[in-house]
Amino acid sequence: MSFRELRARPWRDRSNETPLVWCPPHGDEPGREIALSAWHRRIGAWQALLERHDDGRGAWLLFEPDPVAFSAALIAIWERGEAVILPADNQPETVRRLAEHGAALGEIPGAPRAGADRDPQWTDRPLSEVAVTLFTSGSTGAPQRLVKTFAQLDAELATQAELWPQAGCRVISQVSHQHIYGLFFALMRPLCEDATLVADTCRYPETLNAWLDACARDTKPAVVISAPPALSRLPESLAWQPGARSLRHVYSSGAPLARADSDRARALLATPIHEVYGSSETGGIGWRIQQQGEAWTPLPGVHIECDEAQRLWLDSPHIATAGWQRQADRIQRLPDSNDFLLLGRADPVTKIGGKRLSLTAMDQAIVALDGIERAMSLPLQRRELRLAAVVALSPQRVPQHHAEHRALVRDLRRQLAAEFEPALLPRYWRFVSTWPTNAQGKLDAAIRQRLFADLDDRRAPRWLGEEAIADGFRVTLEVPERCQFLDGHFDGQPVLPGVALVHWAMALANRLFVDPMTFAGVERLRFTSPLLPGDRFTMTLTRRSGTPKLHLRCEGGRGEHASGRIALTGETHDT
Amino acid sequence: MTTALEQELKEMIIESLELEDVTPEDIDPEEPLFVEGLGLDSIDALELGLALQKRYGITLESDGEASREHFANLKSLAALVEARRVK
Repeated sequence: MSFRELRARPWRDRSNETPLVWCPPHGDEPGREIALSAWHRRIGAWQALLERHDDGRGAWLLFEPDPVAFSAALIAIWERGEAVILPADNQPETVRRLAEHGAALGEIPGAPRAGADRDPQWTDRPLSEVAVTLFTSGSTGAPQRLVKTFAQLDAELATQAELWPQAGCRVISQVSHQHIYGLFFALMRPLCEDATLVADTCRYPETLNAWLDACARDTKPAVVISAPPALSRLPESLAWQPGARSLRHVYSSGAPLARADSDRARALLATPIHEVYGSSETGGIGWRIQQQGEAWTPLPGVHIECDEAQRLWLDSPHIATAGWQRQADRIQRLPDSNDFLLLGRADPVTKIGGKRLSLTAMDQAIVALDGIERAMSLPLQRRELRLAAVVALSPQRVPQHHAEHRALVRDLRRQLAAEFEPALLPRYWRFVSTWPTNAQGKLDAAIRQRLFADLDDRRAPRWLGEEAIADGFRVTLEVPERCQFLDGHFDGQPVLPGVALVHWAMALANRLFVDPMTFAGVERLRFTSPLLPGDRFTMTLTRRSGTPKLHLRCEGGRGEHASGRIALTGETHDT
Repeated sequence: MTTALEQELKEMIIESLELEDVTPEDIDPEEPLFVEGLGLDSIDALELGLALQKRYGITLESDGEASREHFANLKSLAALVEARRVK
């Protein structure tokens, strides 16, 4: 085995058999390899830059999307015995918050990047104890500082090198090296295991397909570092089979991969998908290949326990603190085995498209905006847990129609974009004037379901709250823009037909009133002005006890939309 | 003036990306689809690539960055579909 730990500085020399960097073909340019000596001169260039910009703090904030530049900068800082801080993204707010911790480098506004090649300086200055410092989303909402020591990383690198050797492979990455998963799998492992880095991140399936074909043509084995967003969207129309011959391993991490996606990716790539479970704090914990079972197997050397609250306890060489540590994830142990099922997290941290997000941080950021009284963000169990938000607004800010709603959403998303990456921003917004709760005062799962029911039922209204009044209820609704009832392809102005309003009234009445109701007909029901997609309105439903008539009145920002009565079974109705 | 193809693409974007509060009229053919403008993100880019494949049989080039330039706005997307559709 060709493994050498980071503390042995495997970047200074390596065998001539495996090139350090492969530049994949790009347009008409064929693929090529970058020799170790050329990469060393990039390290030299960064060393010169660090020397010039040294502000005495001994700490550097590095955001650099180019893997070759990133790796050269990282090694240059390590060789100085100094600290590297990796922001998860380069959003202005993230960079501003971390600015006090170190001097900015790379793709950060105003930060320098290395210039001309220079010979590297290898000194015997010792490495610092800490290899990298990361900031991740913690459950409190404040970014959590996390340090990774060389000792920790080396323990885990050794484990993986033995479990899944990859010497001589080209390591293609679809994930960012600013996060620990990409940093560890796509950069540190190839450095330590005599494998080849790839000079660019592989963002798209067509690119992956072409690079795998190139590896097959060059008869070079390949490893792919991927994640559920990419693996769940491999187009079946591409010919994967020729390139798949070069594949040795496909890894997925960041979030569990759906079983169907795992099956499909395995079939297309003709390679089992190794899912790795872990986090920035814990390092790798377990792994699985779903076709062998849903349960996860702990990585060698990692010990797990489960307490009465189903919380995971870890004793792992990949964690800085020795001994048993309680984790935020809940698990279930399988009988007579070390294997376990993942049940979810016990704190308000979620993952969207594989990126970690503190829901508390999002809630705090939304509430801090002008005119917002209360906010709750929640991942929806659809479309890869896209984020939704329930937001209570001061009455004058509540949008009354589509254009106001759209302008408000754009404004909120634009303000939040200073702090969060686009994929983490809420996509589904529910604006309320009164916080919707159950009888216990909680916005519970049933209410959450009701607020977003129109996403799955294209005939349902968008429900935004309800209150009891004398003899009945007042319900706040919106006409969903994609509602199937919308009449519409003529004249370009779709409207909600009256029959849909009656249908909604009956469905609501049957849930809200104690006595069941059956529709018998309408009485003097007038539709005074049409409801348009996106219109917000209140529907008032009243029934004198014992009478077989339901009174209906709908009012919105432009005045009354409908009023009249619905006759219920047992009553004859005039026509 | 929105062409029939642009209208079809607007509807495809809204449906395949499940944009609940966007109507076809909201999509300005010249406005960026990603980040500012319509506000699409990296997950949407993958989803849109798949939708183009299914609906029009378009396979994007392997040079991902170049092919994503077609995604700049609705007009460039329509030009891509016109030039490369096979169904």
